[in-house]
Amino acid sequence: MRGRLNASLVTGGVLVGIVVLAALVSFVWTPHDPTLVDAAGKLREPGDGYLLGADKFGRDTFSQLMVGARTTLYVGIVAVGIAAAIGVPLGVIAGMTPLGWLSELIMRVNDLVFAFPALLLAVMLGAVYGAGTLTAMIAIGVATVPAFARVARAATLQVMVTDYILAARAAGRRRAAVAFRHVLPNISSVLIVQASVSFAIAILAEAALSFLGFGTRPPTPSWGRMLQESQELLFSTPRLALWPGLAIALAVLGFNLLGDGLRDYLDPKLRRIRAER
Amino acid sequence: MRRIGTWIAVGGLLLSVAACGGGSGGSGDGGTGGTGGAGGKAGALSVGFVAEPANLDFTSTEGAAIPQALLVNVYEGLVKLDQAGQIQPLLAEKWDVSDDRKTYTFTLRKGVTFTNGAPFTADDVVFSLDRVRSDWKLKIKSQLDMVEDVEKKDDATAVVTLSRPSNGFLYTMATRLGAMFSRTGVADLANKPVGTGPYQLGAWRRGDSIRLDANPKYWGAKPQISTVTLKYFKDATAMNNALLTGGIDVVSSVQAPESLQQFADTNRFQTIEGTTNGEVVLSMNNGRPPFDDKKVRQAVRHAIDHQALLDTAWAGRGQLIGSMAPPTDPWYEDRTGDYPHDVAKAKALLGGKTYDVKMRIPNLPYAVASAQVVKSQLAQVGINAEIEPLEFPARWLDVVFTKGDYDLSIINHVEPRDMGIFADKDYYFRYDNPEYGKLLASADTGTEQQQTDDLKAAAALLSQDAAADWLFLFPNLIVAKKGVTGLPENAISESFDFTGLAKQ
Repeated sequence: MRGRLNASLVTGGVLVGIVVLAALVSFVWTPHDPTLVDAAGKLREPGDGYLLGADKFGRDTFSQLMVGARTTLYVGIVAVGIAAAIGVPLGVIAGMTPLGWLSELIMRVNDLVFAFPALLLAVMLGAVYGAGTLTAMIAIGVATVPAFARVARAATLQVMVTDYILAARAAGRRRAAVAFRHVLPNISSVLIVQASVSFAIAILAEAALSFLGFGTRPPTPSWGRMLQESQELLFSTPRLALWPGLAIALAVLGFNLLGDGLRDYLDPKLRRIRAER
Repeated sequence: MRRIGTWIAVGGLLLSVAACGGGSGGSGDGGTGGTGGAGGKAGALSVGFVAEPANLDFTSTEGAAIPQALLVNVYEGLVKLDQAGQIQPLLAEKWDVSDDRKTYTFTLRKGVTFTNGAPFTADDVVFSLDRVRSDWKLKIKSQLDMVEDVEKKDDATAVVTLSRPSNGFLYTMATRLGAMFSRTGVADLANKPVGTGPYQLGAWRRGDSIRLDANPKYWGAKPQISTVTLKYFKDATAMNNALLTGGIDVVSSVQAPESLQQFADTNRFQTIEGTTNGEVVLSMNNGRPPFDDKKVRQAVRHAIDHQALLDTAWAGRGQLIGSMAPPTDPWYEDRTGDYPHDVAKAKALLGGKTYDVKMRIPNLPYAVASAQVVKSQLAQVGINAEIEPLEFPARWLDVVFTKGDYDLSIINHVEPRDMGIFADKDYYFRYDNPEYGKLLASADTGTEQQQTDDLKAAAALLSQDAAADWLFLFPNLIVAKKGVTGLPENAISESFDFTGLAKQ
């Protein structure tokens, strides 16, 4: 019943796969200790065991990128997890409730949060609770809740008018049961797509926050902070900015393509339309 | 959906490009938007700084940014420091010291007025010095504790009586503690400074800049530059870019020394390198475990490879000192040999134990860079330091400086002749050694030779006690457009003196 593999899906899958693989491998092995300061190896040129060279602290860029992938995925997973865990139930409730005011209330509060920029929220949380990966993840997660709630509600409304829901309700199924047995499985493909797009946004947000000094604490490698630390060396050693920048761009591209590809793959209607063309 | 996805990917590329552009956004707001920016009228100059003051009242707010902007420029004392560190007359034409060295008679300059119109008289001297004791909230105000009495003899003569002879008194009078305030001008110091200086506050755009305008009624030689704009940058790269693009004329203190080669073009820029009073101190909380144990502190000092730290964190600019005295003070001795880099010895001092400590640092470039080196080097002897950057100045001052809630910190102590801060056991070092206090007291009351000898001994004691670790002496690195003259080579006073600046 599923569709064929498409180019987006494959490309996205490969890019994301590389990031995941790098992160996983970094737990057991990196070429060098990514946080070890080595004055003798300051700004070491690429080669000789240092694939991409070293930064001004003599730290291996490649090892930092690998561990940075870990940070990136970690932030993405937790942030998207928070967003989905709060946003999806809210959206489904808003879509299923017979109480019009409740639906309105949820969606208007949602709009309020939606109007608040994620970065601002993170900077605020950072100022109050101290900057760190955790505050960044929570802030990005909370700011992404509305996206999930909206998508979940829209999809739920579509599903609610189908015959099988009508049948289930006519059979006297309780609302919660209908939600779990029928609604959630049928909106899951939309949510998966939303998750991968949100993941991409979360990666960017984390990089931006670390760049601003509100994200991952030094010396834990993070792509955003690698960019920031390379700033002053931009004219003399541009490669230090190039690699983390490229890593961020490819990871974001990967998750977006994956999202696009998954949507095509999971959505039979769209596939049929394409086939007819 | 597909289109949105692509845009996000482009966003990712843009982020990396933005970094490649070296924070080009920053150069925008450092550019033409600034008031009195470069390229305006001939008598205007703008100078880039980091760390904007939280308010303009240095009598109640700690931090170096306020006197840096206002002392000598807006506020004047009876005396001032010249570039060689010598004391010169300012609002006092001359002074006589009694034979017992306890009475100072200052003869005041006549015809001086404050910017609020009030004349400057001996009453203001009495008022200002009394106010240090009654109203000031700074910890360093104890430096004037030896002042017993201040009296007005006539309008142009003020007599200061000390409880004991003091070598530090006149010197302290050249710092912010000796600034002269108007009796009718202290209502709103945080926003409206009133002084006798060559400049007065023109405008303060919070988060952006402070504009100083020449004081038309100044008693002395009028400064050549009629408008000085102090532009504050959060980010070193933005400040550099502002100079590159002409948004500012001077980078007052280079915060990214690796970037200096951008300014290598001597047809456009000049680089000035000198020394400062700024000891970049790795503070250890002597008041709580584990750093209440001298052996652990000593281990830290042995664990750190200072030359490697300076080379990586600050591009090798600066000087290794080893104790609290900078090379421009007469009692300076090179104490870097006390604790040579020796990992084995450090481990032996720790006795195989490991420690988890918090390193709460200000989010300033030198501190963040140094902290990463310190962490890496301490890890090799078994001390795991978790780095926690705090927003500077507000958060850091509150948590570390005021509450003393830290194990390790890194801060540049810029105050001149500030060895006394270690004599105060409530200071955030929580260092408590009565012997040290005695040495400082006897240095202050004794002869000049005695002062030099005692302070040498005190610096040695600090170093041996490992009261802290001294990472390096902060260099005075200024980059300016070619043609800007009168920039201080050595930053050895608390102020950035604009009065001698000129532009060709």
